[in-house]
Order: sequence, then C-alpha cells, then structure tokens
Amino acid sequence: MNVVSRGIKNAFRSPLRSGAIILMLAISIGLILSMLVARTSVNAKIDEVKATAGTSITITPAGVFGFAGGGDPLTSDQLATIKPTAHITSTSATLNDQLSTTDTNLVSSLDLGSFGARQQRFENGSSNSSQSDRLATRPAPTPRTTVTGTTNPNSVSTNGGDLNITSGSTIDGNSSSLVALVGSDLATKNNLTVGSTFTAYGSTVTVSGIFNTANKFQDSGVIMPLTTVQNLTSQAGAVNSVTATVDSSDNVDSTVAALTTALGSKADITSQAKQAANSVASLESISNLALAGVIGATIAGAVIVLLAMIMIVRERRREIGVIKAIGGTNGKVIGQFVTEAMTLTVIGAIVGLTLGVLVSGPMTTSLVSSSQNSTSTTSRPQGGPAEIFRGGVQSVRTNITQVSSSITPTIFATSIGITLLIAAVGSAVPAWFIARIRPAEVLRAE
Amino acid sequence: MLAVKDLSKSFSSASGDVKALDQVNLVVETGQFASIIGKSGSGKSTLLSLLGALDIPTSGSIEVDGVDIAKLSAGQQTAYRANKIGFVFQHYNLIPNLTALENVMLALEFGGLPAKKRKARAEQLLTDVGLDADQQLRKPARLSGGQQQRVSIARALANHPAIVLADEPTGNLDSETGKKIFDLLHRLSRSEKTTIIAVTHDMDIAGKTDKTFKLKDGKVTA
Repeated sequence: MNVVSRGIKNAFRSPLRSGAIILMLAISIGLILSMLVARTSVNAKIDEVKATAGTSITITPAGVFGFAGGGDPLTSDQLATIKPTAHITSTSATLNDQLSTTDTNLVSSLDLGSFGARQQRFENGSSNSSQSDRLATRPAPTPRTTVTGTTNPNSVSTNGGDLNITSGSTIDGNSSSLVALVGSDLATKNNLTVGSTFTAYGSTVTVSGIFNTANKFQDSGVIMPLTTVQNLTSQAGAVNSVTATVDSSDNVDSTVAALTTALGSKADITSQAKQAANSVASLESISNLALAGVIGATIAGAVIVLLAMIMIVRERRREIGVIKAIGGTNGKVIGQFVTEAMTLTVIGAIVGLTLGVLVSGPMTTSLVSSSQNSTSTTSRPQGGPAEIFRGGVQSVRTNITQVSSSITPTIFATSIGITLLIAAVGSAVPAWFIARIRPAEVLRAE
Repeated sequence: MLAVKDLSKSFSSASGDVKALDQVNLVVETGQFASIIGKSGSGKSTLLSLLGALDIPTSGSIEVDGVDIAKLSAGQQTAYRANKIGFVFQHYNLIPNLTALENVMLALEFGGLPAKKRKARAEQLLTDVGLDADQQLRKPARLSGGQQQRVSIARALANHPAIVLADEPTGNLDSETGKKIFDLLHRLSRSEKTTIIAVTHDMDIAGKTDKTFKLKDGKVTA
C-alpha cells in the first residue's frame, strides 16, 4: 500500500461523511457544467442573433412612408451608393405602386371601407367647391390593388422567412419579364390560377404563382420584378424602398451613420438596431448570470473541499503526528491527504458531470424562456411598407427559443480543469496545516 | 551507544519560560534495557521526544553511535526516526483504518524497504510478537489492548532500529498483559540487540530493567 492507495482508502473511511461531501461537490460541479453549457449556448445564440436579427436597414425616399407623404423616389445612383457601404452584405430594392380600375382589369379583393374612402377623399375634387358639392359630384371611390416591384420577392413575406408560394413558382426579381406573383385573396377574387393573365398599365402579365402570407393587405396585392414595374410605370431606375442587410447587428448603428452621411437629407433611414440590442441584452444578461453561476459554484466547491479537508486534518492530527513519528515525511503525509481530497473531488465530479449533462439542457431552456417572458416585445400592425419591420420581432423571438444546449469537449475540459482547481485549492490550506503539525504532539497527547 | 550531555529544553508559556529538562546527562549502552521513572510533569515525555528526534533541544547534545541528532536537519531527523528509532506508545497509536499487517508495512515503507519485501517482513514480525494470520488481517478496533500493543512493538522493530523508545508501554494494560508485553520487549532487546528506553510508572517493571533513571523537576536524580 502506497501514498495514493492509502489516500483513496481514507476517502471512504467515513462513508456517511464522504457521501455528504461528494453529494455537495456533485451539486456544485453539476451547476458549474450546466452554467458553462448555458453560457456557451447563449453566447452562440447571441452571435447568431447579431448576425440574423435586427440586421436590416430600410432606406426610403425622404418624406415617403408607404403610399403617404411626398417626395422623389430613390435613384439608381443612390442605390449604387448604398450597395458598397461597409458591412452591407446584400440589398433588395422595391418600387410600390397602386393599380386603379383604369390601370388594370383586376378587381381589388380589399373592401374600401371608411378608412380607404377617407384616404381617397381629396381625389377628383375641385378646390373651389364646397364640402357638400364635392361629396355630391365626386364619383364613388374604388379600392386599388397594390403592385410591388422588387428584386427579392421574399421581402414581401411577413414572417421574415421565404414567401409562401401555394401554387406555381416564384419569379426572378432581377428580370424584366411580364410575370407576377398574385396574392391568394386577389387570385380568388379574380379567378386567377397559374398561367392566367391580367392586364396592368396596358400590358398583359402572366401569373407565375400564387402566394399566401396570412396578411390580408399583402394577399390582395401583386408582386412583379422591379425592372418590370419600373418599365410599366415609366420610372426607370426609381425605387421607393431599399432594404440593406448588415453582417452583424453590432454594425447597424455605424452603417446607418455611414448611409446618413452618404445620402444626406434625401433619404429616411430606419433600422431595428434597438430591438436587436434589447434582445441581445436579455441574452447577455443570461450569459453574465451563467458566468456568475460558474464562479459561485467553483467557490462553493472549493470551500466545501477546503472545510472538509480542514475538518479531516484536525480530526486526524494525532494520526499525522504518529505517521511523522515513525518516519513519514511531510511530502508523504500531504500526498496522502491531497489524494484523499482528489478522490472525493473526482467522484463528486463524475456524479456532478452526469447530473450536469442531464440538467444542462432543461436549465438552459428554462433560463432563456423566463428571460423571454420578462422582456416581452410587442409588434404593432403595419400597413403600407410592412416590410420595413417585417417579421423582425418575430424572428428575434424565434431565435431566442432555439438556444440549443450542447456540451462540447471544451466545456468538458473546462469543467474538469475547474474541478482540479477546486481540489488544489481545497488541499492547499490543509497541506499547510499538516506541515505545521510537529511529531512531538503525539507524545504530548499521551 | 546513546549519550546525552547537558540536555536542556525550555518552553515558553504565558507565565514565562518553563524548563522541562535541565542539564540532563545519561548514557545507555547498546542493547541495554533502560527505564525512566518520575512523577507527572517531571520531564519524562519531553526527554523521550528529544531522544526520538521529535523535538529540538534548547541546548545540549544527544549522540547516537557518535552522531549528534540535535544538529540534524529536518529531513535527516525524519530519516533518523524512520531507520534508527522505534516508538511504542501507551495508547498504541495504530492507524485505525489499516490492518495490523498494513500498520507494520507502513513503517517498512518509511524505512525504505522495497514494496515486494514488506509483506513477508511484516508477517514475520507480527508472528514473532505472537499474532496469528487471522489477527494480522484485523483492523486495530478488532484487536485487544495487548494485541494492539504487540502490533505497536512489531511496528517499532520493523526497520531494525538502534533504539526503541517506549512511553509507558504497559500503562493502558492490565497487570498480566502488561507483564507479557514487558517480557516481550525484554526478550526482543536481547534477541535483536536493540537498546530500549521505557518511560514507566510501574516500579516492578523499572526494577527489572538494566538501568533506571529517575527524573524530578527536569533533572536526573539517580
């Protein structure tokens, strides 16, 4: 029997006490692993959120909001300025227009209602007429059909994902073909199917596909390639909305600043940087909480081993004196007690790591869910340029709940490293006590 | 030969320095069985701890076969305790979670005996002191006081020490068992030619040793 085997044997000298120490250590080490997993998963999610959510910047002509306001559309020169701006990874441009009954043979699937009627109350009226005259002479207003010319048909999607094509196929947003995607409500209203045609601005347009977004406004519209709409409306190079995607939400503010400088007062720039920052902030608070948990559990584990070993050394003071009296060196006695502490810690680590593997997943999910509940964000219904905030909030929420807890070799190695640190700290002070015990004490105690 | 010259040991206390030993001189020849008697607090245990290099004297010298152990470094003192000294304690002081055999093997490990030879040597020693094979595999709690003291003696003799220091070896035993232990020590001192110095209150035992030193107030008076 050598120092190591004596140390291991001593670890089981008092099964009840050893069991209690191991249990406390296991809880502590299990917590360390769970917190490391949570922190790593959350940090990975933070990077993902930064790369995917709140990274879009919407640039519209100054003074224009949907079909309201006034001003000139953005030009192709301005678009050329936007594209090479630092951190912008992609852009999609949109030109919106409305088809009246004189522009198309389509019948709008929207009811005009009091809202629509109020929006059209100034049209066809005489400025010199009295209010009663205008109401009496103006023809009855009719609802219009919105046309979206875009380089990216998916930008019309309201959930941040790809556009849901229920039949047919999507269109190439960069072409100039006379093709269109028709909203499901409009298609039903006009008995349109894939391959059907309709007229717009005096041209015949073929239906390539039918889409459904579960948004009545969008599903009552038509999507065509950007160039097609520019050609049909005689607005070559004009766009009234550009959505730029930035590589990380960290760079949204700086990109907005760069665009503001480049475009001056001719464009209004809207971003989701604040929303993304809020979402990331809640995840970052979880990450910090997890780090505090790791540190706290490490300190708790070290203190458990430290106090247990101090108690054991004090209890065996006489025995240590005997070992020294019969020729045992400080090194051998300390080695025996360090082995004992290591044995308790390693067993605690095995149990704790097993516990950690079992609970880290639910714990991470629980932490993220509770955070999500406490940072509720509301999305308000959007009309007109709904794509400005399309699915942004929803996208962030989805990302948060998808935090996956995974235990990597790095996390395992870190946990084992921390465990060894606990054993080292827990053994250091008792070792100092052991070195101070003089062998003569064994005779004084006689 | 053990020669103690002008050995003094003082301790600091709240009321000032206390002289536990004061200019002690004694000589014990190799193979002799010597006893130290004295009342409680006379300095017996202090003398024993200094002879066993468990403590450092304030002044004076302790020469064992010509080497002054008071001048040895801490490491050398540990080696001296492992190889030259055997201790027998009143309360046996066996390691409770080791068997009798393992307790003796522990001393052999500290004495530097190769691991392969330890078991045979320990079994031989325990057989010599009268423990059978079954008793050798028992832990101290399952041995009687006399059996534990036999294990303690086997452990003390494990590394062929020059001196065995016994602190009231029969003090915790009934008279009959005490006599047997004394006889065992006496027999071993003869057969192994080991110097034995025993602290005792028992005048009968002291009367049977080769030499007796009486301590009073830290001084050898006879």
